[in-house]
Amino acid sequence: MWYRVSNSIRPLLATLGFFGAIVAPPSVPLLAMVLLSFRFAAWEIPAIGLFVDLMWLAPSGVDGTFSLPLFTLAGVVLVWGLEPLRSEFLMR
Amino acid sequence: MVSGGALGGLARGVSSSVWGIGSAAVGSGFFSSRRALQVENETLKQELSRLEAEAVGFEALESENRELRGIVHIAEDVSGITAPIISSVRSSPYGTFIVGAGSADGISAGSVVMADGQRGFVIGQIAEVGEHSSLVEEIFAPGASAEGSVGGAELIFEGQGGGNARAEAPRAISIAEGDSVTSAMFGGRLIGVVGAVPADSASAYKSIYVRTPVSLSELQFVYVVPRFQ
Repeated sequence: MWYRVSNSIRPLLATLGFFGAIVAPPSVPLLAMVLLSFRFAAWEIPAIGLFVDLMWLAPSGVDGTFSLPLFTLAGVVLVWGLEPLRSEFLMR
Repeated sequence: MVSGGALGGLARGVSSSVWGIGSAAVGSGFFSSRRALQVENETLKQELSRLEAEAVGFEALESENRELRGIVHIAEDVSGITAPIISSVRSSPYGTFIVGAGSADGISAGSVVMADGQRGFVIGQIAEVGEHSSLVEEIFAPGASAEGSVGGAELIFEGQGGGNARAEAPRAISIAEGDSVTSAMFGGRLIGVVGAVPADSASAYKSIYVRTPVSLSELQFVYVVPRFQ
């Protein structure tokens, strides 16, 4: 039962992340990424981050400064950085 | 004895009164069937919905018209194009938004984006250009900095996002709430107004908080100047 609920949460959170990246404040895709990372080592997490950066990040600022792709970096950290915690606490 | 004519007249009088009451009752819809009333009710509801939708449409047009009239003031001074904002201005974590004009409309990276107002004020610059859309970076995007002049002093304004910026100024300079901030980078045009100057008698410098004159989320159109004049 829990397994089924857990599996349906993943696409829901991913949809929320992608959709929120377009229409909602940045906290919404970030929240979706964090919630996804609690349970899954999902490819959707860095994908949402990459999507946010591709859509909103200027390649280099108008004043010539380089901007960091913070959401992509956050996605990478959430997927690989939290993996030890997930493998410690989640039953596979 | 009572004549038949008198009785007849009385009867006709009563009859006509009854008919009058009856026709009035029918005319008032008192005896309309429940089904007919339901149909009429539905029709009226649909009509009301249509009129409400029309009213909303008129309000949207009125707002659009008001904004475009504001942009006309800028167009009298500098030549450029009017572009609609086609994305949310609150969704970007980097202080950017998308406008519906691109290289096909003569826009290039670095073009200046202005909004309406009495004199028109600068809100950002084009950072990336597509064929029919462009990414605009707000002048007060988080982490961005802009040179500006207020109270006769040249200051560096650090963007805080959401159309807000902060600068440090020597305490001796007189700056008050509501003062205009202009920038030589944009031909001396307005880039913001001073929102707050918190007093801190212990420091040699004072913080100045600046905001754009209108809320960016209320804007529907911007004016893009391909080459600043």
